[in-house]
Order: sequence, then structure tokens, then C-alpha cells
Amino acid sequence: MQLKDNKHIGIGFRKDFSEELLDSTILKPAFIELAPENWIGMGGYWKKQLDKAAEKFPISCHGLSLSIGSPDDLDLDFLYKIKKFIKQYNVQIYSEHLSYAKCDNAHLYDLLPIPFRKDAVEHIIARIKQVQDILEMPLAIENVSYYTPVAAEMDEATFISEIVNGSGCNMLLDVNNVYVNSFNHNYNAKEFISKLPLNKVSYIHMAGHEQISDTVIIDTHGEAVIEKVFELFEYTTALLKPVPVLLERDFNIPELEELQTELTRMETIVSKTWKKEHVIA
Amino acid sequence: MSLLKESTREQQSKLAEYCKTGIVPELTGILEENLHHYRRLVFNIGIDTIETAYPITYRFLPDEVWDKLVYEFYAEHKCQTPQVWRMPLEFYEYCVEKDIQGKLNLPFLNDLLYFEWLELEVHTMDDIPYPSFDTEGDLLNNLLAINPEHKLVKFTYPVHILAATELEGKEGNYFLLMYREKESGKVQCMDVSILYAYILEQIQNGLTLHAVLTDADSLFQINNFEMLKEHAINFINDLKQRQFILGFLNA
Repeated sequence: MQLKDNKHIGIGFRKDFSEELLDSTILKPAFIELAPENWIGMGGYWKKQLDKAAEKFPISCHGLSLSIGSPDDLDLDFLYKIKKFIKQYNVQIYSEHLSYAKCDNAHLYDLLPIPFRKDAVEHIIARIKQVQDILEMPLAIENVSYYTPVAAEMDEATFISEIVNGSGCNMLLDVNNVYVNSFNHNYNAKEFISKLPLNKVSYIHMAGHEQISDTVIIDTHGEAVIEKVFELFEYTTALLKPVPVLLERDFNIPELEELQTELTRMETIVSKTWKKEHVIA
Repeated sequence: MSLLKESTREQQSKLAEYCKTGIVPELTGILEENLHHYRRLVFNIGIDTIETAYPITYRFLPDEVWDKLVYEFYAEHKCQTPQVWRMPLEFYEYCVEKDIQGKLNLPFLNDLLYFEWLELEVHTMDDIPYPSFDTEGDLLNNLLAINPEHKLVKFTYPVHILAATELEGKEGNYFLLMYREKESGKVQCMDVSILYAYILEQIQNGLTLHAVLTDADSLFQINNFEMLKEHAINFINDLKQRQFILGFLNA
């Protein structure tokens, strides 16, 4: 993806601040990311905003409803709509969550944890390959935050690694999700990251979260990124080749200056570890 | 062919069902104290989406009635669209299918919900190509070009005119023209009479205004073509000013 101004850090394109982002110069992301589900088939005012955004920024897509881990069949009609959208907006990165959002023919619109099991690994590998064949591009699969495992027979890092390596897909490494899971499930975040297929990481997510009790953090995307996640980000980027990095902020949107401060901080971190890269594969 | 074992599928199915109904299932190897977060997160997304789409109905119905309705919808209905912003249409369809208006003795509820959905739909619906048109022409004898991004609908209750609390006993025939302004994307609403709804429908079907009025004069038993023509031209000119009538279709 050709990034703006040789920078690496993008921001989630949200309707809540789309007008400000497009009309002001306060926020200077290298690219924007959007969920195709929220824009496919939409016309009128929002289509105009999307087209303006596409003129101004490179776009990456982060899906919500593909439901790669679902027991249900893939929704091929929907997948072809995504393919058309990706082509229309010259999208170079399409990522999805390693979770399921549809089951027994009902969409739930949230990310449910897949049992970490061998048969689920094989099931998902086959589905990722099918998706990549249809889209004619690699899928980047994201490690999700989860609040309980379900019927696990292997650890999370093994589950992710086997899927990424077996399918040939890329990995979207969500650093905040690693932090959230390490807190909720009491493991060492750095050790977890070292077990992931880091050579396949093509994209990073950063976000804020909310700690709601002594033992639980919820991945809200509604707060600023905390210091410990920045530290984990710095540690992680030192292990990786340069890739695009995305700040997710979906709720409780602050002034754009605050968002830019977070982007700048991330850019400063990666500029130290990655030096100057122009084009990111 | 799925590579999932039945036991894995069953665990996934149970978790999903729990998120829909809130009825705690028997799941293997879970953190029981954290399970409720999934129900809460899934349900909140559903509630927020429906309440945002139907703000008038949400405010009008008593809290306990609304909460029960949304709870039952989420528990009973299998949402089909992968696009959550389209899900409120399924909520409306569910209410119609389950005759919620009959059960609540609110005979205008379907109209009210549909009116609210329509506003969302017209605002967001995919762009429709505008016809090629001229600004100069003969209003009576040239084919008129109309804004294609519109809906002309009939209601049994004047949900687009009166507050929900004033609808009882107002049963009748009401017509709403709802359209999207090309440049701003704003949605405009206009109450129209049955005569003008007929005229718009026939223009849309490709008749000239003169032909439509000739038919309407006898159909509505007006028997005064000149008076009908004068009123209709005023109506059409008003719609031109509102940029709903764009001009005259190119041959």
C-alpha cells in the first residue's frame, strides 16, 4: 500500500468524524481504514463522503461480518460484493477477525471466540483459502480479544500460528488485543507475541480499552491508548518489518488534536525502529 | 463440506444462542464469570442499532414494552443481513409478521415503523442514475424528468404529519412523497393528496402531464379539466422549485 507522506500510521474512518477529517488538516493519517459492511450499497451523502476520502487517502478494509470461524457456510454473495468494493476503491489490504459473528443462520454483529481446536484450525484454513481464491488477494487475519475461551484443546498462539501458516494468509497483529488477552487470561504478552508467525504480520492495530474490574478489560476502542500498550507496541515493532499501523477509535471520539497526538507518538516509535521506508508491501 | 466436528459446532452454536436469548448454556472450559459480557455486547449492539433507527417509536412505547419487543426480536429472529445498519428493516418486518401492532392494540405501529425505516433507507440507498433532461420544455406535453431517488408510499395513518400520540382514530388514506436532494443528500418529505399521488405515479410510468390529467379528470370524476390543469401545474411547479421535478426528459 502506498502510504501518504512516507508515514505508517492510519486511522479508522468513522462517520462520527468523517467531515472533520476530510475538511481539516489537523489529522494527518497515512491512510484510512473502514469496514466495507458499513459502506457497501450506500449512496447519497455518505457515498460522497467516502468518495472524497478515497481521493484524499489510501484505503484499507477491515471486515466485520465475513465470520471466517463460523460453522455456517461462507456467504459468497456478500464476499463478491466485498470484492467489487475492494476493486472500486483500490484497496490493497483486506483484513478480518479470527472469530465468528454468524451462527445457525443468524448474524450477531459481534466477535465470538472460536474453540481453539484442531478441527477448527482445518475448517478455517479451508475457508481462508476459499476467500483468498475468490478475492485474488491475501487476507490478513486478526487476533481478537476474548473474555472466555470455549472448549479449547490448544493454546491461542498455537491456534493462530497453525491457521496463518496453514492457509498462507497474512496476519493483522492487534497489539491492544494481545494486551487485553494477556490481562484477562493472565499470560505474558511478550512471550505470546514471540510465539506468533511474525514473518507473516502485514498490518498492526492499536486501540484503547476499558478496564471494568480487577480481572477484566473490555476491548472498547473508546479510550486513548494506554502507556503499557504503547510499550508493547514498541517492543513488537522492533521484531517486525515495516508495516502499516492503524489506530482504531470507534466511540467517545475526542478532539482531532488528541487523535493526532496518538498518531504522532506511534509514528515516532516506528520511525526509530523502521527507519525510512517508502512503500510497504 | 465442513471440517468441523459436531462437538465443536455444538459449542459454537450454544454460545451464539446464549448471545441471542440470554439463557445460560452448558459450555466446556469457559470462564463462567465472563460469559455474560458476550450477551451484553451482542445485545447492546442490537439495541443501539434499533433505537437509532426508530427514535420515534422508541420514545413512544413504554420502556417495558419496548424492551420486551427488542428482547423477543433478538431471541426469535435470525438476522440475515451482514450489514448491521440494514438490520432495522428486519426488525420492522418482524413486527409486521408477528402482528405486534395487533398485540399492542396500536393499529398505526406498522406505518410508524415503516415511515422511520423509509427515512433511513432514502438517506442511505444506493445512488440511482439521474435521467438526462432539459430545463426548458412544455409542461403539459413533454415527458417530465423526476428525481429517481424517491419513494411514494401510502399510509393508513398520518405518521408523517402527526405525533404518535395523536394518531389514534385518524385512519384514512395518506400519501407521502419522500426524496433525497441530489447535492446535499438531505431527505425531504411531502404529504400529497391521492390525486397528486396518482399524477406523480403516472408521470413516473412515462405519461405526459396532459395525458395523466385527461385520465384523472374522469377517474376522480372532477369533470373540470381546466381547473384540474391549473392546480396540477401549480403542484408541478412547486415540485420543480423543490428540485424534485428536474425538467424535461431528453428524447
